[in-house]
Amino acid sequence: MSVALPPGRFSGLVVKVNAFLLIAMLLVAAFMGLVAYKQGWFVRQSVIRFVTPNALGINKGMPVKLHGFTIGSVSEMQLAPGGVDVRLSLATEYLMRIPQDSYARHAREAGVIGASVIDIVPGKAERALAEGARINFEPSRGISEIIDDFRRQAIPAFNEVKAAMSQVGRSGEDITQILASLRKEVEQLPATHRAIRKLVEEAGQATADLSQQAGTTLQAVERVAGTMQRTLPDLSDKLGTSAVAIGAAATQMQHTAEEAQATLRNARPLVDHGETAAREAADVLGAAKRVWPLSDSFKDTSDGMLPIDSFEARGKGLAR
Amino acid sequence: MRVRGAVLHVLAAGLIVLAAGCGGKAPLNNTSLAQSRLAEAETRAAALVKSGDFSGAARHYGEALRIATSLENADAIAANAINLSIVQQWLGRDADARAALGAVLDDPRTAFSDRRKLQAELRRAILELAGGNIGAAAIWAGQAERRCIATNCEYAATILNVRAQVELDSGHGAEAARLAQAAAERSRGGASRAESANALRTLGRARLAQGQPAAALEPLRQALELDREIGDPRKILADLAELARAAEAAGDAAAARDYRERSLAVSKAMNGARGSAEAVLVR
Repeated sequence: MSVALPPGRFSGLVVKVNAFLLIAMLLVAAFMGLVAYKQGWFVRQSVIRFVTPNALGINKGMPVKLHGFTIGSVSEMQLAPGGVDVRLSLATEYLMRIPQDSYARHAREAGVIGASVIDIVPGKAERALAEGARINFEPSRGISEIIDDFRRQAIPAFNEVKAAMSQVGRSGEDITQILASLRKEVEQLPATHRAIRKLVEEAGQATADLSQQAGTTLQAVERVAGTMQRTLPDLSDKLGTSAVAIGAAATQMQHTAEEAQATLRNARPLVDHGETAAREAADVLGAAKRVWPLSDSFKDTSDGMLPIDSFEARGKGLAR
Repeated sequence: MRVRGAVLHVLAAGLIVLAAGCGGKAPLNNTSLAQSRLAEAETRAAALVKSGDFSGAARHYGEALRIATSLENADAIAANAINLSIVQQWLGRDADARAALGAVLDDPRTAFSDRRKLQAELRRAILELAGGNIGAAAIWAGQAERRCIATNCEYAATILNVRAQVELDSGHGAEAARLAQAAAERSRGGASRAESANALRTLGRARLAQGQPAAALEPLRQALELDREIGDPRKILADLAELARAAEAAGDAAAARDYRERSLAVSKAMNGARGSAEAVLVR
């Protein structure tokens, strides 16, 4: 049984189908053109190459970077004498920015764990690389190699530390003895300070006594001289009335007394000098107290005494 | 030749004796355990004083005093008792400070040296004056002075300063100025610059009390210079406070304000809490 279609229903169908197909083909072509553009098919490419004895970590399509900027990719890899011949496809416009003595190295974008790239390290030559040129390659170091390297450098240091520690361990007893001896010496320091202070005080007292005795002696001598001066003229007068010879002798004695007085007068500066010397000796002792190494012992009131300061009498308002 | 040979023999013998002396055994250590502990306590206390830990210092001076008493070491008893009294006063414990001095002043049996007795009496005078007991301070200072004259002691300037402060607190400005002047002359050129500054400060205060503010300024300025050299902020603060008073009394308001501001800055820098209390001195 057949159904009759109404006339004019599919009129122009062929045109419509053709138009649809045409639009679809245009869209596919546009998409393909876009992809080709994105892939750089319209950019002129130049190839350079390097040979590495070990191509581990290098893959086809891996980006090639110059100063961190992508300029191409690994286009082909094939076995060659001495290793793997790796070809890099670079945009021609960037080739002129790569000097002839540049080299490639395997690197990662973010330190040890980033994506692998081929990094072009520019050289200093004035001329640029030519199409198809071969450059040197520096393989990257893996974590294991870095650790090995660190271990090689650290092991001698660790060995030295270990040796030093064992030496300290062996000499521990000596160190304990040394510290004990040192401590004993330090403990005796206050007693030493007291003894030194006592010595200096006694010396100071001795000089003061000497000064006092010198003064006393001088006064006594002056008194004797005065007495002689007063007595001798009287004696001379009395003797002069009784006998001329004795008077002459008395005169002579008077002369002698005057000479003695003159001698004593001359001796006065000497005694004064003695007093001055004693005072200066006390000053020297005082200065010695302020000179290192005694200064530490005699600072303030010394022998471990805190300073007795009249300022503390001002009351609680100025407590420390 | 024979003479030269004899000289060489003598020199050789001397060298041998010297070498024997150097190589000889060290003297035996007779330090007992208690003496070691005494020295250790004294050393620790001194170190704590330097580090500003006065409570710790008081504890160790107390321990040293106890050990010294057990050893009947008169000198160490007196030294540690006096040090303990000083630290206790710094801590504001005047009663404890006075009690510490009792180990020397209230013990007639132990033969303390005159120097130690004098130190204890002087400390007692300072404590009494700080507590406002002017009469007791005068008695103890007089006792210390008599002992000082007899022993030619090095505390003459300190005693004169204490006596000057006693007279000043008693309202005798002229006598205080005379004693302070004597203390300044006594301490001049000596090792005790602190007492020299104290004397100048007391002299300034005495002149101010006598109604001579202009004459008070110079000794107070000298005291300030000395105290700045010594580096004691408490004394610098006291000097600035007195200078502010003197300048104000002399009619120099600008200088008085300057001294007051400086004293406030010192006071705040010393200690915030205590600074406000100190500031009262300035006003």
